[in-house]
Amino acid sequence: MTNPYIPHISVLRKIKTENAVNDIKTFEVEFEDPEVARGFDYKPGQFGMVSYFGAGECPIGFASSPMDKGILQFTIKKVGVVTTALHNSLVGEKIGVRGPYGNGWPVEEMEGHDVLIVGAGFAFTTLRSLVKYILHEDNRERFGDLTVIYGARNPGELIYKYDLSEWEKSNEIDLILTVDRGDESWTKREGYVPTILEEVSPSSKNAIALICGPPIVIRLSMPILTKLGFPPDKTCLSLEMRMKCGIGKCGRCNVGNRYVCQDGPVFTMKELQEMPKEY
Amino acid sequence: MKHMTIAKDGIRDFIDRLVKRCRVIAPVESGKILRFREVSSGEEACFDFHNTKLSPKEILFPQNEVLFKYSKGRGAIEAEAGPSKNGEWVIFGIRPCDARGITLTDLFFSSGEHKDLLYLEKRGRSALVGFACIHPLNTCFCTSTGGNPFGREGMDLLLVDLGERYLVEVLTERGERLIEADRGLKDASEVDVDTANKLSRVAEKSLRTRLQMEGLSEKLDGMFEDPLWDRVHQKCVGCGVCTFVCPTCWCFDVVDEETADSSSRIRLWDTCQFPLFTLQGSGFNPRPTGKERMRQRVMHKLNYFFREHRAFACVGCGRCVRECPVNLDIREIIRTIMSE
Repeated sequence: MTNPYIPHISVLRKIKTENAVNDIKTFEVEFEDPEVARGFDYKPGQFGMVSYFGAGECPIGFASSPMDKGILQFTIKKVGVVTTALHNSLVGEKIGVRGPYGNGWPVEEMEGHDVLIVGAGFAFTTLRSLVKYILHEDNRERFGDLTVIYGARNPGELIYKYDLSEWEKSNEIDLILTVDRGDESWTKREGYVPTILEEVSPSSKNAIALICGPPIVIRLSMPILTKLGFPPDKTCLSLEMRMKCGIGKCGRCNVGNRYVCQDGPVFTMKELQEMPKEY
Repeated sequence: MKHMTIAKDGIRDFIDRLVKRCRVIAPVESGKILRFREVSSGEEACFDFHNTKLSPKEILFPQNEVLFKYSKGRGAIEAEAGPSKNGEWVIFGIRPCDARGITLTDLFFSSGEHKDLLYLEKRGRSALVGFACIHPLNTCFCTSTGGNPFGREGMDLLLVDLGERYLVEVLTERGERLIEADRGLKDASEVDVDTANKLSRVAEKSLRTRLQMEGLSEKLDGMFEDPLWDRVHQKCVGCGVCTFVCPTCWCFDVVDEETADSSSRIRLWDTCQFPLFTLQGSGFNPRPTGKERMRQRVMHKLNYFFREHRAFACVGCGRCVRECPVNLDIREIIRTIMSE
């Protein structure tokens, strides 16, 4: 019998603070068993069930790229019991990871298309995995132009600054950064993500749009994407839901006859239009 | 189908013989309620009942179940959950609605990419031996949801009370093995079988609740935003008892529990009727009020599950009707939906 709830023991290798407020950290982990590490493959947009023994388990999207072999990264905001325990943990401690779960971003369907990525706030994690995946030299030529619009409340809340500065220099990606309110050192755009999306007006010709962010950003960005000509089946969202099992059994991520953990977390707008508005 | 009989006063001896070769689980008085528990003799089992307060789902899907044990501090898995007892299990004295509930639970836990092997392992070793319902309760509505007081779905043996003795219908090979060479059983006569058939017709006729449920799922397809949901949840107090007693509710929570001498990850029954069930870390709750939660329970049973498996996730056992502290009645909700 294979018990689907047994996590793989993993070691915390690096912990990096991502934001000025210090409530978002990136945890780099390595599976204790090299055999597990070798066999573990995932797609950008999939997630793992991460557990701190004694505190519990919660779903966290992979922030690392599948091309980074041997390690996994999770970017975690301190909000509840498990995430607080993780934030208080130290390098070298052992945690649990099981997965990968969910469908992930539609990487195969994106090939041969221009890609527009819209991210806001802390929800940028699996989009970062996707950007890193596309930018990898083995993959880059299979995708068209890559445009990334990413914003946060203020400059201190932008995560992955080390990646952003690399990407800004690169010709392989058009990165547009924005903050709701800049500070004296901020020289880039100022404004909400949906507003900037409208200003930039990326072309929808042969393009796929992917979006992840707080509900308000999604709600305000959808009509703009429609206006830009992105059809519902070429617009993808990643949903957030409370989950306990990750494998479609515990019942809490149920939306209509779908389970977000199993049938999602990525859905096209077309699929969402056919589901009850309960997410 | 093979028919046997067993004398009524021989049933406890039959259980005694079963106990010698398998784990027998039967209705027993536990505390103040009747529920399914392991018995060590036929004497412990109770057979004078309409139905148990708690459904036998707790045998295959326990209210709390250790998923695995871990060692605190060392970060290592110590022991995986295993069956509490090997060998064959017999769930004895189950009612047809509950046996059908188990077949629906089987569908759910074996669906999708990831099977719930903790459930399936226990289920795989369990034979179901049931009693046909001669006197359905006025809260019963099994025929409306696709069952029957003499339903055989999921059963390995079905016993029919003929007064002095039980008729034993042998329905599967597994059932055959249970009675094989048992000295307490005799071949049934044609009269016995006829009597049982007559009782079956009487029982079915005696069911007072007959709901029109054909087309219900299709009707609900377009009713997610219906004003009906604003009304039907009003008197619900959100206690969740309907889901705990339901044989076809299987949502669970997963928590870590640490005591002085052991650390375990366990799963516990949970309910969609509690606000915390879907409350996210951000503070956002997709089902913030009783309205959304009531809608979820009804829609999941009568529409979402139906769309996946072509059956309602309700067997008409009536427990939710009997146990509700404010007399909310799912039959009324079904009637209201159908009359909209």
